[in-house]
Amino acid sequence: MQAFLDNLSLAFGTFAAHPLRSLLTLLGIVIGVATVVTMMALIEGLRVKVNRDLSQLGANVFRVDKWPAGIQIGKRDWQKISRRPNLTLADRKAIVDHCPSATTASASAANHAQRVSTSSAETQPNVFVVGVTPEYSETAGITIASGRFLGEAEDVDARPVAVLGPDVADRLFPGANPLGQEVRVRNRPFAVVGVLERRGKILGLFNLDNMVMLPMQSFLSLYGKKRSVSINVQAVDADSLEKAQEEVRRLMRRRREVPALEEDDFEIATNESMTKTLNELSQVITAATFGVCVLSLLVGGIGILNIMLVAVAERTREIGIRKALGARKRRVLAQFTTEAVVLSLVGGAIGIALGFGLAFLGRWTLGLYTAVPAWAVALSLAMSSGVGLLFGIYPAARAARLDPVEAMRAE
Amino acid sequence: MALIELEAVTRTYQVGTESVRALRGVCLKVSRGEWLAVVGQSGSGKSTLMNVIGCLDTASSGRYRLNGHDVSHLSDDELADIRNREIGFVFQTFQLLPRETALANVELPLVYRGLGARERRERARAALEKVKLADRMAHRPNELSGGQRQRVAIARALVTEPSLLLADEPTGNLDSATGEEIIRLFEELHRMGHTLLLVTHEPRLAARCPRAVRLSDGEIISDGPGREVALQNLRDDPRLAAPEPR
Repeated sequence: MQAFLDNLSLAFGTFAAHPLRSLLTLLGIVIGVATVVTMMALIEGLRVKVNRDLSQLGANVFRVDKWPAGIQIGKRDWQKISRRPNLTLADRKAIVDHCPSATTASASAANHAQRVSTSSAETQPNVFVVGVTPEYSETAGITIASGRFLGEAEDVDARPVAVLGPDVADRLFPGANPLGQEVRVRNRPFAVVGVLERRGKILGLFNLDNMVMLPMQSFLSLYGKKRSVSINVQAVDADSLEKAQEEVRRLMRRRREVPALEEDDFEIATNESMTKTLNELSQVITAATFGVCVLSLLVGGIGILNIMLVAVAERTREIGIRKALGARKRRVLAQFTTEAVVLSLVGGAIGIALGFGLAFLGRWTLGLYTAVPAWAVALSLAMSSGVGLLFGIYPAARAARLDPVEAMRAE
Repeated sequence: MALIELEAVTRTYQVGTESVRALRGVCLKVSRGEWLAVVGQSGSGKSTLMNVIGCLDTASSGRYRLNGHDVSHLSDDELADIRNREIGFVFQTFQLLPRETALANVELPLVYRGLGARERRERARAALEKVKLADRMAHRPNELSGGQRQRVAIARALVTEPSLLLADEPTGNLDSATGEEIIRLFEELHRMGHTLLLVTHEPRLAARCPRAVRLSDGEIISDGPGREVALQNLRDDPRLAAPEPR
């Protein structure tokens, strides 16, 4: 133990004696580790963010849709997908009526890039207008900040009412209470009955607060009835989620008359299936990052090898003195190996700090969500000490082999 | 029992294709508490003999018993342990670690003995006090005079309480006044009972030792009281009587 502490303090002493030289040597390791930490922070941030965003779907909810959701890897036959029949409000009703494992189901349809106005203000043409059935508040995990959500009767009668996202509300009614006021969508008036709780952006890109929700029937009369709706289905509980999906799948295949051996002509997506594709993507990026990192660590390792050979040559006399005074081979070996490991660990630590810095910078300037996973830090430290050990052992062995008399004669 | 017992020790080096016989059958006995000078011209084998006695090198043939143990055939690590426990070295060029303080330099052999930091510090401090450097402990070698550096080296040699103090031209890099100071310190150590072996090419130094051996071409050619051996040395090589250039 005492020997280890002695070696450790010697190693730090050497580092302090040549700080610039040591830092330059460590550049490879610093870059390698910083790359890993930054990339892992980005990927982990993306994953955490996506998981959280998607869980806003609501608990135990899955989605039935005409179009595939999320990030798609590999080829899909988009022409064939576009020929699929639309999902309808009748499908929603059928699911509620015939699937015992589903407690409720909502339908929704959306139009991007809409402009919403009042008599005195208007938004940019970037508002997301969504038509929803009343169950949507449950299946999408909607919470209302003020007022109320859209009701059953309003949907049936296609009444001109609207719930605003907080960004739209702030834009159109700055400093005023929007409830009871009138907004215009496509030149048709809607009375504001509620404002949504702020939810933020999905992946930092898609703004969930810049939207307007209308009753489904109002939406359809505004934008036309010939469109496919998305259906969110809520299962009784987490355990019956798969059972509910199977019931829905069977029901939909029957309703859409899909032949027995054909694949589904609709998509069923859960939080898990959407994150799965993302996880696959992140694995590819992780593997590529590791390639880059291993390369930099190799360069860093050769730097360590070089600087340790220089150190052994420079300190031949010191090694001779130590051996003359009774240092065993193993002890000299340990001293120089410790030095190499400490050197590369310092590089690793700087790399980790740099990685954290870059991750913060990314969050700050680009608004990316980043989170450095603990395992990436542990892995970086393990890898850099491994590099130190691997590339430090040869110079250390050379030091240990020196003949004390010869070594003390060196200049 | 003798502390040092050399029996027909030879040491042959291979330099390229030639073999150089640096020691050709040296027999020598040194008892505990003796102060012995080894004199001889450069190339006479003095340094080789000192390296063998100091366990920095091993004999090619013959037998070397130190403190009753045969050390002729020990491994490098075993020799390192013997050096650490039995021998204190004082070198002509001091051989101090330049980056370390006087105290840390004196602690060094105790580091390799595996002592804890506190005990090391106490013993090193006591050794530095013994050589009257208590007020220079925190200084690095380049902040010390030559004589002070050599006293640090002597403190480092004494700190392990070795059986044998080996000094190789300890005054070679010092001016005569400082050299005298170091020799006085050796005389004092001798009076305290230390066994001292002094390698030197200066007959005047050898003359002050109770016993001296003279080496020539790898063999001991005389062995007797320091004064006699030194005189004999002077007769053979009058150049040595010339005053020092300094």
